[in-house]
Amino acid sequence: MKQQWRARAGTYASIAFLALTMQAPWSSTASAQEFPVAIVVHPDSRVDNVTFDDLRRIFTAQQQFWGDNSRITLLVRAPVARERKIVLERIYGMSEDQFRQFWIGKMFRADVASGPKIVYSSEMARELVAAIPGAITFLPLDAVTSELKVLRIDGKLPTEAGYVLR
Amino acid sequence: MCNVVLRRAALLAATLVWVVCTPARAQHPDASHSRFTGFLFGDVTFAAAEGDAAEGFLMGQLVGHGNALLTERLSFFGELSATARQDGYAFEVERAIIRYDFADALKLSVGRYHTPISYWNTAYHHGLWLQTSVARPELIRIGGTYLPVHFVGALAEGSLAAPGIAISYEAGAGNGRGALIGRAGDAGDVNDEIALVGGVRIRPDFARGLQVGGSLYTDRITTEVASADERIGSVHAVWDAGAPELIAEYAHVRHEDDASVVSTSEGFYVQGGYRLPGVLSGFKPYARLERLFVDDADPVFESLTDYDATIAGVRWDFETVAALKAEFRRDRRSGGEWLNSFFVQAAIVVPSFEAAAF
Repeated sequence: MKQQWRARAGTYASIAFLALTMQAPWSSTASAQEFPVAIVVHPDSRVDNVTFDDLRRIFTAQQQFWGDNSRITLLVRAPVARERKIVLERIYGMSEDQFRQFWIGKMFRADVASGPKIVYSSEMARELVAAIPGAITFLPLDAVTSELKVLRIDGKLPTEAGYVLR
Repeated sequence: MCNVVLRRAALLAATLVWVVCTPARAQHPDASHSRFTGFLFGDVTFAAAEGDAAEGFLMGQLVGHGNALLTERLSFFGELSATARQDGYAFEVERAIIRYDFADALKLSVGRYHTPISYWNTAYHHGLWLQTSVARPELIRIGGTYLPVHFVGALAEGSLAAPGIAISYEAGAGNGRGALIGRAGDAGDVNDEIALVGGVRIRPDFARGLQVGGSLYTDRITTEVASADERIGSVHAVWDAGAPELIAEYAHVRHEDDASVVSTSEGFYVQGGYRLPGVLSGFKPYARLERLFVDDADPVFESLTDYDATIAGVRWDFETVAALKAEFRRDRRSGGEWLNSFFVQAAIVVPSFEAAAF
C-alpha cells in the first residue's frame, strides 16, 4: 500500500516537473497577458484622452471625424492576435463572426464609405498609424514605440490601475 | 407653378452658396483614402404554399453593391439588382448615391436612396442575408405601395454625440412617388410638389444596441386614378445587442384628396429573435407578427388590402457569410381565409478581398 502511494506520488511529481521545464503553451500565454492593450494615434494628433464611450463610437464608426474635422482611419489587427480578441470583447462586445457581419452591414447601409484597414502585424500597424494622419489603432503595450502617441482612456494610461483594456 | 419654380431655384441657389462658402480641405485622390469595397448578395428560396402564391424553387435577387471612398470626404455608393421574373430578369438601379462628408454632423448627398421612412428599409436594403427573416414585412415590401421604398433627391444626414447619447438625423427633398406609386420618380417629378422626408434616431450609451426613432414624409401623389396629399408618420424601436433582436415599427399613412376627403391607413410589425448560446450560436429562432389596415375608400391604395401574418422560423448561420432560413408563415388578405406557407431560403454575401479580411 505504502509502495503504491510512493509510486503514484512519484508519477505526479514527474508530471509537474515536465510541465514546468517544458514551458507548456499556457505558460507563455500567461506572460503575454501581462501587457495591456494601448490605443495609439498618429503622433500629430491633438487628442490625448477619450472616454470609453467615445472609443466605442470611434471603433464602431458612429464617429468618423476627429475634433479638428480630419477623417478617422481605423486600423484593425487581423484575427488571432490577442489584442484583437480583447478589443472585440471589450469595445465591440462581438465575436469574430459578429464583427465581420457588423462591418459588412455598415458598408451595405452606406453608413461608412469603407471598413477598417486590416493590418497583419504590430510592425505594419506602427508604420501605418505613424504615416496616416487621423489614424488610430491598438497595440500590445510592449509593441508601442516612442514615435506613437498613446491615448488615455477615461483619464488612464495603460500602465495605470483601472485601465479598461487589460 | 411660377412660385414653385422660383422656390426651387432659391433653395438650390442657397444650397450651392452654402456649400461653396463652407471651408473644406482641397480634395484630391489620396492613396490613404481612395478605396473600393464590393459585395454580391444572392438568395434562393424553396416555397410550398397554399393558395395562388408561387411555389417551388424561386431565384431571389442578385444584388451587387459597391462603396468607393474617392477622397477624404467624397464617396459613391451603388447598388444594382437583377430580379427573377417569369419572362426573364428585371435589372434595376436600387441605390446610387454621391455623398460629401463635411463632418459627422453633416453629410450631404444626392441620388437614389431607400427612403428613410422605415427602419427596415434602411437597415437591410436588398441583402436578404442581412435580415433575419426570409422576407420583408408587408408594409415595406419591395414592389409594395404602402410606403415609398425608394426616394430620388437630396439628403442631409449626420450624427451628434452628447454625453451618454447619440442622435442621428436625416432631412431630404426629392421627387416623391412616381405615376406608378410603387416606384420612385426616377425620370423627374410627376407633379410640381417636392416630397420632404425627415427623421431622428436616438441611441443611448447605457443600453448597447437600443435605438428609437421616428420619421415624417410629405408628398403630393398624382396617378391616373387619383391625386392626393400624402403624409406618412412612422416610429420604431429596435434592440439588437447581439443575442436578442427586437424590432417594432409602426407607420401611419394619411391621404387627403382634392375634395378634402381624408383616408387613413396604418400598419405595424413586431419581430423578435434570439441567437442561441454556446455551440448552438449559429442558430437564431425568430417570430414576427404583422398587421396592415388599409382604408377601403382610399383611391390611392385601391390595389392594397388588409393583411395579417404570423411567422416563425429559424436562421442558421452555417458560415460567417451564408445563412439557411426555415420559416413557416400563416397569413390572410382582406380578412379572408388563412393560408399556410413554408419557406427554406439560402442567402449569401460575397465580400470583395478587402472586406473578406475583416
